[in-house]
Amino acid sequence: MHLRTPNKEEPLAIEITDLRLTLAGVAILQGVNLKVPAGRLVALIGPNGAGKTTLLRCMLGLQRDYSGEVKLFGQAGLKRVLPRIGYVPQRLNLERTFVLSVREFLCLRLRQTRSWFWRSHRSNDAALRGSLAEIGVESLLDRPLANLSGGELQRVLIAYSLLTNPDLLLLDEPTAGVDLPGEQTFYDLIGEIHKKRRITVMLVSHDLSMVYRHADWIYALNGVICCEGPPQTIMNAESLKQAYGIHVSPYEHHHHGHDHHHH
Amino acid sequence: MFSEPFMQRALIAALCLGPLCAFLGVFVTARRMAFFSDTISHGALAGVAIGLWLGFPDPTIALIGVSLLVAGAIFWLKEKTDLLTDTIMALLLSGSVALGIIILSLLKRRPGDIHNYLFGDIFAIRWWEVGLIPALVLVVGVGLFLMLNRVSLITVHEDLAHVSGVPVRFMNFLFIVVLTLTVAVTIRLLGIILVTALIVVPPAAARNLSRNLRQQIVLSFVFGLLGALGGTGLSYQLNLPCGPAIVMTCIVLFIISLLPRTALRPRPV
Repeated sequence: MHLRTPNKEEPLAIEITDLRLTLAGVAILQGVNLKVPAGRLVALIGPNGAGKTTLLRCMLGLQRDYSGEVKLFGQAGLKRVLPRIGYVPQRLNLERTFVLSVREFLCLRLRQTRSWFWRSHRSNDAALRGSLAEIGVESLLDRPLANLSGGELQRVLIAYSLLTNPDLLLLDEPTAGVDLPGEQTFYDLIGEIHKKRRITVMLVSHDLSMVYRHADWIYALNGVICCEGPPQTIMNAESLKQAYGIHVSPYEHHHHGHDHHHH
Repeated sequence: MFSEPFMQRALIAALCLGPLCAFLGVFVTARRMAFFSDTISHGALAGVAIGLWLGFPDPTIALIGVSLLVAGAIFWLKEKTDLLTDTIMALLLSGSVALGIIILSLLKRRPGDIHNYLFGDIFAIRWWEVGLIPALVLVVGVGLFLMLNRVSLITVHEDLAHVSGVPVRFMNFLFIVVLTLTVAVTIRLLGIILVTALIVVPPAAARNLSRNLRQQIVLSFVFGLLGALGGTGLSYQLNLPCGPAIVMTCIVLFIISLLPRTALRPRPV
């Protein structure tokens, strides 16, 4: 893995220029500049309230009324790039009265199986096969989506987002509600997907110790991008303290301690 | 019972509206909109009163109009204020009931008239409605079925639906309009107070017996059909108000659906 600062010749997956957004009188994004070359696995970190999720929402067109520019794969119009994006939300707020099964949920992503309602299991599974084997969700197919554990649900959401073979995968706090061993497995899975599919992946996380092991490049956000760089560099940067406040200093002492939590 | 024209009309209405309410109900319950449907139906009381006040021979049009107004008011207040949706709906529900009762008491209607709107009336369905109801059911039912993917995805997660290319705002708007129209039309059969039961009980009974969404939709459809037809029949045979008869039939189906629950439940691994 070679790590270097983004240069101009590399095609950019994400290019954000002077993004500003004020919500209810609070300036959440105060001029964010961000360039992510295609094919990287990057992490966007920052404390709670730093604007990570808001930035992601701007990129996905879920948040409007911002100033500045968001370009994905060189295009400012989101309509045309949306099919190239896979998105994994933080969590689902699903009622248990709604018994959508995992198989049915995954079929919703495949436009041609609009008729999943009448189809047999076998023909659905054939269409889903590739994605299922990769993520290991075959055993979950007949379970209702609302009954899955946090870790199981995250894997199903990943499988869902990969079904259309996206070029960019955006994950919002993907391990919220997942236990620690599950979290490790999850990040290993993301790393594997990234390597195998050669897609751009952006992880949003407040947990530096986890992303440290997996990301090629880290962006620290707190209203603006305070600092960015490869994990080794950024962990020691003075400016990280700016992003995280004063609580973070213990990180410097255990770079390989992915089982340590910051609190 | 099938030879009476009023009964033929009521049965046609029940045949159409039972399954439709039950089908819509699968998504209404999953999206926590049961109270929303209740608010809309109670708003209809003001509609009925205004219709009678204005001297309409049949207040159905006023009823539908006011129901749509109440639905619009819920969303307008949600956008303009910081109030919880629950609070807004409770306010509009009690407000429109109060307005309806005041107008009706000023009009000095016999209590019997109001009674029929509150609890449903098998004599209420007119021939022009028998034309309207199947048309509504066909358009809404087929439309909802064709958009099943999109509606299901919005129910799972609105942002995920947006990223998957679903026009979320438009679909939500459409869903509200369709739900409002369905509730307003079904009021004739079930009455203002009980109409929500036909939207909530069949999907709940179906949920008890289902392992996936397809099963829930099919079973809910069947329960809606049985409940509406059975209840209308009972209403005629036993001379009961139509709404309570349908609701009790649905409740009996719900109780039956609870029975095999322990047997069908996936065993803990």
